[in-house]
Amino acid sequence: MKKPFLILALISIGLLTSCGPKIAKSKAYEGMYNEKPLSVLLMPPINRSTNVEAKQYFHSTLSKPIDNAGYYVISPFLSMAILKKESAYNSEMFLNSSLTKFRKIFGADIAVFTIINKWDKSALASNVKVDVDYIFKSTKTNEILYTRNAHITYDTSVGGGLIGMALSAVSTAITKYVDVARTCNEYTLKDLPAGKYSPKYLKDGKEIAGKKEFSKTF
Amino acid sequence: MKKILSVSLLTLMLCSCGGQKELYSWGNYDKTSYNYLKNADEDSQQELMKNYQEIINGPKKGKKNIPPGVCADYGYLLVKQGKVGKGKEMLKKEIALYPESKIFIDRILKMIDE
Repeated sequence: MKKPFLILALISIGLLTSCGPKIAKSKAYEGMYNEKPLSVLLMPPINRSTNVEAKQYFHSTLSKPIDNAGYYVISPFLSMAILKKESAYNSEMFLNSSLTKFRKIFGADIAVFTIINKWDKSALASNVKVDVDYIFKSTKTNEILYTRNAHITYDTSVGGGLIGMALSAVSTAITKYVDVARTCNEYTLKDLPAGKYSPKYLKDGKEIAGKKEFSKTF
Repeated sequence: MKKILSVSLLTLMLCSCGGQKELYSWGNYDKTSYNYLKNADEDSQQELMKNYQEIINGPKKGKKNIPPGVCADYGYLLVKQGKVGKGKEMLKKEIALYPESKIFIDRILKMIDE
C-alpha cells in the first residue's frame, strides 16, 4: 500500500534536486528583464569543432526556439544574405567588438552568438557529445544578457523517427545530427525569459533559472 | 490507491512540463530550412517556399500563427526569383505583422528599388 507513495516521493525528490542552486530568472538574467529586448539577430554559429557540418545543424535549428519563447527573430535567411554581402559572415570578428551597427542596420536589440566548441561522434557508443556556448549580447550596451554552456550527450541509436522528421532528401544519419543540434538548442534556450509575444512575458521572473553550465543526456 | 498515484503522477508531469505551447505553426520548417541552408539549390528553395506558403495561407490565419521572419524570407526568395512585385508585398506584410522589422525591411525595399 505504501509503495506508490514511496515512488512518488522519490520522483519528487529527483525533480527537485535536479534543479540545483535556486536563483530566480529575474536575478540570473537581470539584463534581459531590464532591457526587455525584442528583436534578435542570429549570428552564424562559430564552429571550433572538427565537424564542418555542425555549423549548419545548429544554424538551421536556432530561430524556432527563440521565436517560440516570444521574441522577434529577424528573418534568418534574409539577414544571413545581408551579412554575407557585407562580408560579415564570420561572427568571430564581432564577438568582442561593438554591436551598434547591428542595431542600426537590422534594428536588432540582441545579437546571438553560438560557439560550437566540440562535436564528437562515437561510433562505438553510438552517441554524439557536443559542447556549445550560447551568448546573447545587447546591441545597446554590448553586455551579455544571457549565456549558457551546454554539454549534451545525444544517443543516436534511438530516436530520430520519434519527432517525425521524415527527411526524404537527407539520410537518416544526417536527420539524427540535425536532431542533436535541435535538441541542444531547444533545451538550452528553454530557460530564456519569456519575450513580448509570449503569454508569460514579464511574469516569469520568479521562476528558477537553470544552471549556467550544465550536462544533459538525451 | 492506483487512482491517486496516477493522478499525482499526471499532475507532476504536467507541472514539470511548464505548459509551454508553441506560439506558431511551422509546418515542416526544421526539414525545409536545413535543406535550403545546406544545398541552396532549386529543389530545396522550392520546398522551403512551399513551406512558407502553407504557413502564410494556413487554416488559422492571423498574426499569432505566422512566425516572425516568414513573410520577409518568403518575399526575399520571391525577389530572388524575379517576382519583385509579389516579393515586395510579402516584405511589407512582415512590417505590418511585426512593426519592429521596419528598420531592416525598409532598407531591403530600398535596395530592391535601386
